[in-house]
Amino acid sequence: MTEKEFEPKILGFFCNWCTYAGADLAGVSRLQYPPNIRVIRVMCSGTVSPHHVLRAFQKGADGVLIGGCHIGDCHYLRGNFMTIKRMRFLQELLKFTGFAPERLHLEWISAAEGPKLAQTIRDFTEKIKKLGVSPLKKAQAA
Amino acid sequence: MDKLREKVRKLLAEGKIAGYLGYIMQEGHPLPHLFTKERLAELDQAIVSPGAARYPLDKLLQSLAARYPEETFAIQVRGCDERGLNELYKWGQLEPDKVVLVGIACPQDQADYCECPGPWASVIDYGEKCQPVLKSKRVEQVAALAEAEAFQEWLAHFQRCVKCYGCRDVCPMCFCKECSLEHDALMSTGQVPPDTIFQLVRAIHMAGRCIDCGLCEEACPADIPLRVLYKKGNALVKELLGYDTGAPGGDISPWKISGEESTLGTKPM
Repeated sequence: MTEKEFEPKILGFFCNWCTYAGADLAGVSRLQYPPNIRVIRVMCSGTVSPHHVLRAFQKGADGVLIGGCHIGDCHYLRGNFMTIKRMRFLQELLKFTGFAPERLHLEWISAAEGPKLAQTIRDFTEKIKKLGVSPLKKAQAA
Repeated sequence: MDKLREKVRKLLAEGKIAGYLGYIMQEGHPLPHLFTKERLAELDQAIVSPGAARYPLDKLLQSLAARYPEETFAIQVRGCDERGLNELYKWGQLEPDKVVLVGIACPQDQADYCECPGPWASVIDYGEKCQPVLKSKRVEQVAALAEAEAFQEWLAHFQRCVKCYGCRDVCPMCFCKECSLEHDALMSTGQVPPDTIFQLVRAIHMAGRCIDCGLCEEACPADIPLRVLYKKGNALVKELLGYDTGAPGGDISPWKISGEESTLGTKPM
């Protein structure tokens, strides 16, 4: 039997006002992207706590993608400043502890950017495939 | 020592403070103690905590202040304790005008052991200023590791955890009534070692809050180098968000929702 290609599990947190609407646009435009991503809709990307990201990795996610409004376009005016502060910090902390910080990605995607959303998901899935199984998941299996 | 005792005696006698939270030598053990006007004689046994004898006085002060909100207390502070007080003022846990400082300057060997960047209080009633340690060698050593090596190293540390919560319980800055570490939606329950992310979750909470007193690491029965993790967290908060943890003044924590805007950009994929 040939070994199956690694299909990563990717968790997406998309903000209701921009990125989730962008995903809708990608859908109605019939743009294709890999099915590895599971999306959770949140009211603002600023509500995504580092806890949620860490919990996702603990539960076996190979990558976490966070999508929010562009800076200045936040429905709640300053919500995404919190997102960028938290996620940049978390990326650096993950780097320090040797847990590939590239497995956490943040992208600003507006409601009009359906193609950008599809491309981001394609690129991110490709990247996680190259990185392989999350070391946290491997450590638990061992 | 006499200068310190005299200062406290005067504060107590004049009724400026309801009590002084310091250390006493009992049966050869230095212990935290609340000195009051009613038992002035005890002041003769008041001591400065020797380097190794460390207790979270800031934490004791919080429960005192909660119980006697109208009273003013004096407290013995090292540099770290004072940073803790500054941070607690900002988080609304203590009132600055209800706290009187009795300051200590740590000796050089303590500062070296702690890799402390500010080993003295703003008021010095005992000791002499020594050389601060501005760079942490311990952090640099870990930062120099390759990604996979660093992961293996931390994993080995985290897997020794016995989930005693000692790091949290001793921490003067852990004042939350509910704790994420015990939240079953955020952390698996009923298993040892706990989730690998256990210490990382705590590290997130400590960033911009940890005053680097080192009590967590000393309390840890598994010798997890928690201090290295939290030192790095604070360095990142300083580097990315420009926040100096424990500094006096009105700067509020960058993690408060009403905090300043940020000029950080997203990282390219």
